[in-house]
Amino acid sequence: MNSSHTITHRQLFFVIIQSQIGVGVLSLPYTLFAKAKTDGWISLLLAGLFIQISILAIWKLCEMYPKQTIFDFIPKIVGTKLGVVLNILFVVHLFSVCVIILILYNSIVSKWIFFQTPRLVVILILALTCVYCITCTAREIARFLMLVSPLLLVLFFFVAYAYSDVHLLYAFPVGAAGIKTILSGSSDALISLLGFDTALVFLAYTQGRSNSKLKVISYASLCVTLFYCFVTFTTYIFFNPVEIVIVPEPVLYMLKAFSFKILERTDLIFLSIWIVFVTTSLISYLFFTAKGVQTLFKLKHHKSAAPYVGIICALIASIPGSKLDVQLWSKLIGMSALCCSSLFPIFLLLIAIFRKRKEKGAVST
Amino acid sequence: MTFFKKPKKLLEQKQTVIEKEKESSSSSQQTSVKKSQSEQDANVNQHQSINDLLNDIEKSFSSSEDLMTHWVEMPADKSKVALIFLDSIIDKQKLQDLILNPLFELDKDIDLHTFEKVINIDFKKQTDFTKIQELLLQSYTLIFTKDSTCFFSVFTPIKTERDISEPDNEAVIRGSHEGFIESMSTNIALIRKRLKSQKLVVKYLKVGKETHTNIAMLYMSDIANPEILHEVERRITSIEADSVMTPGNIEESIEDRTFSLFPQTLSTERPDRVAANLMEGRVALLYDSSPTVNLAPVNFFVFFQTPDDYNKRWMLGSFYRMIRLFSFFIAIGLPAFYIAIVSFHYEVIPSALILLMKSSLENIPYPPLFEALVMELTIELIREAAIRLPTRIGSTIAIVGGLVIGDAVVKAGLISNLMIIVVATTAIAAYTVPSNEMSLAVRLLRFPFMVAAATFGFLGIVFGLIIMFFHLCRLYSFGTPYFAPLAPFKIGDLKDTIIRLPFFKMNSRPSDIKPLKKDEDNHTRKWEKS
Repeated sequence: MNSSHTITHRQLFFVIIQSQIGVGVLSLPYTLFAKAKTDGWISLLLAGLFIQISILAIWKLCEMYPKQTIFDFIPKIVGTKLGVVLNILFVVHLFSVCVIILILYNSIVSKWIFFQTPRLVVILILALTCVYCITCTAREIARFLMLVSPLLLVLFFFVAYAYSDVHLLYAFPVGAAGIKTILSGSSDALISLLGFDTALVFLAYTQGRSNSKLKVISYASLCVTLFYCFVTFTTYIFFNPVEIVIVPEPVLYMLKAFSFKILERTDLIFLSIWIVFVTTSLISYLFFTAKGVQTLFKLKHHKSAAPYVGIICALIASIPGSKLDVQLWSKLIGMSALCCSSLFPIFLLLIAIFRKRKEKGAVST
Repeated sequence: MTFFKKPKKLLEQKQTVIEKEKESSSSSQQTSVKKSQSEQDANVNQHQSINDLLNDIEKSFSSSEDLMTHWVEMPADKSKVALIFLDSIIDKQKLQDLILNPLFELDKDIDLHTFEKVINIDFKKQTDFTKIQELLLQSYTLIFTKDSTCFFSVFTPIKTERDISEPDNEAVIRGSHEGFIESMSTNIALIRKRLKSQKLVVKYLKVGKETHTNIAMLYMSDIANPEILHEVERRITSIEADSVMTPGNIEESIEDRTFSLFPQTLSTERPDRVAANLMEGRVALLYDSSPTVNLAPVNFFVFFQTPDDYNKRWMLGSFYRMIRLFSFFIAIGLPAFYIAIVSFHYEVIPSALILLMKSSLENIPYPPLFEALVMELTIELIREAAIRLPTRIGSTIAIVGGLVIGDAVVKAGLISNLMIIVVATTAIAAYTVPSNEMSLAVRLLRFPFMVAAATFGFLGIVFGLIIMFFHLCRLYSFGTPYFAPLAPFKIGDLKDTIIRLPFFKMNSRPSDIKPLKKDEDNHTRKWEKS
């Protein structure tokens, strides 16, 4: 690995944040409310705790195989033949994540901005932009992701403006939904928190001490969890519980109500900024995918894989047309992503540890 | 001979000189003949006599008519010497003053060999006959004697430079009003005048097989990073071309990405700017007969600095720098933003304004993109015409172009009032970018943004910005990141980019160009402590 492609801790922090915050932020309060009612924000916090376990596993894996991406060390853990199969499966999973990002992005854009524009066009402009962005090294991607991070503050202030008109009472009684529903709600929350798994590829490029890497990823995921929690909680105390059921994108509806002297319809501005975050998470996932394709086909550079990856994702993403299709796809891909991104690293780690023990045992006897 | 006027009073002396010469030469000639015979054997194969040699030279210049040969009779021994020079590029007065007058003034038994030692720095003995053409082209006058082992050269360049004046496109309110001119040596002198340090190094390079363009590379030996120096030199010396005429040729040959709108070297005509950048660790490239000096490596924000910033109070300096950066966004984004609003997002406009806008747009037959394109192109037309025309007619163009067209086009109902405001603001904003190249880049960038806004509204602008910023992030100037210190982010380097902090705060050099000495000795307010 070329030393000039490395990224710093600070950059890693923002890479993780930018990959995690994405399409989910707009509809998250709604999906959580559907399950856990006004306690959705608690499910979110729990989900944040759960992913910490996955993060630990990811970090440990990357510590055991330093300077290697997941595609390099899967064959080493499970053997070459099974490794290829798992690699292919993981690349398929990554493809599906890219596809679902594009699908959800399209469903929001076609609902709020372009009602008539063909799906494929809306999807293609995002996909092609991202293809351009991933045809360079991890370092430049990290620089860009860090550059756009101040926009998070703008999102924060937009949402915080809602506090001029909130009713804390809507959030009470806390815990009314019961622990079981709150727990089941956290699986939905987990899906929107996905993105930390890009660490599997970006950790390979990060320099520095291993312990501080763990700290960096954990802090990043903590920040995102808190930010999501803040957004969710704000919408819960802005809308009353009866209203939320009928607004699928509560954040946008909330902003739609605000108008400033120089700016009406804040939601349109918010959407424009939100698109940046969709792009950044797609960039890191596409980069991840392209790296996977590179290893699978033994390409010299992931650059040559990028256009194919992007265009294939765009084409697949333009298949589901009706709302029901979108829901079905997002449910299926959401579940598979949940398994592959958060559970798979844990399994992989267990196998790796088991094998190492065995080797050690073999050596000692 | 008629061309060179002999001083009248010398004519009398001449007679006596010749007589004296005769006596002394008879003795000295005997020894020299032996010497020259043996040496001649080496050169004989090419030139038997001066005449042959002169013919050869004339042939090599394809009998160009400004190649002049003059025969002069030496006052000392009546031997004939040939002066050969390119009439068009030498100063005849200098020739008279440097060679002919001293020759005739000296009444001692002097020949050219001793002349070389006594008289003049520019007078040199040459033995390499292959350099004849090169010397002639560099405005030397060559003197050939019967002695065919050597010849003499005198540097007699004609002064074709203009006086030092303030560069028109980089004027400042306060500060030095000196600018570079078309002479490299003068330009180096202007820089040396400001940096009186033995650490300032000048390195001459040559490119172009036919044009032999001289390039001088200037840097501070204790600050500039050797890797960057090496890289710059490597790129320049690897240029292989018949002609390298303009600084633009060299810029294009050495920059990292030719397919980028953004300039990757800073060209300036101000010595103070060059000196300041040299002190930060950059490399300056000076060219023969060009007042433009290129600085490399640069980052995006260097293009928004002006020497004026450092002569203002620091808060004002910061304010105006932010205005300039803001104008960058206005210049690329305002027309696009306007198009996006009127064609897609009417809802964003506050209700008080919406009637106003509607009424202005109501009767316009064309879509906003077309309106904007027509107006922008008109402005570009006016600009281009104004550059080519002399100043007196230029103002007419401004009036006809700006006022008449602008007014008439609205009255005719072709273009809306608001669009005129938008386009005019954009045009002004583009001109506030201090660097000409960056300003041009901005002007071209707005067109793709306008098209993107007309097709996808805000979404198009956002994607356009993403691509632009990503491009800036992946752009390098001689291996250093172009968008530093924002990407990669270095908070310490922000002090002289978006803002301009007080002078005493500037005690470290920007780290993106990796200077050898990071710390700048800047303790300007030590007196406060006492």
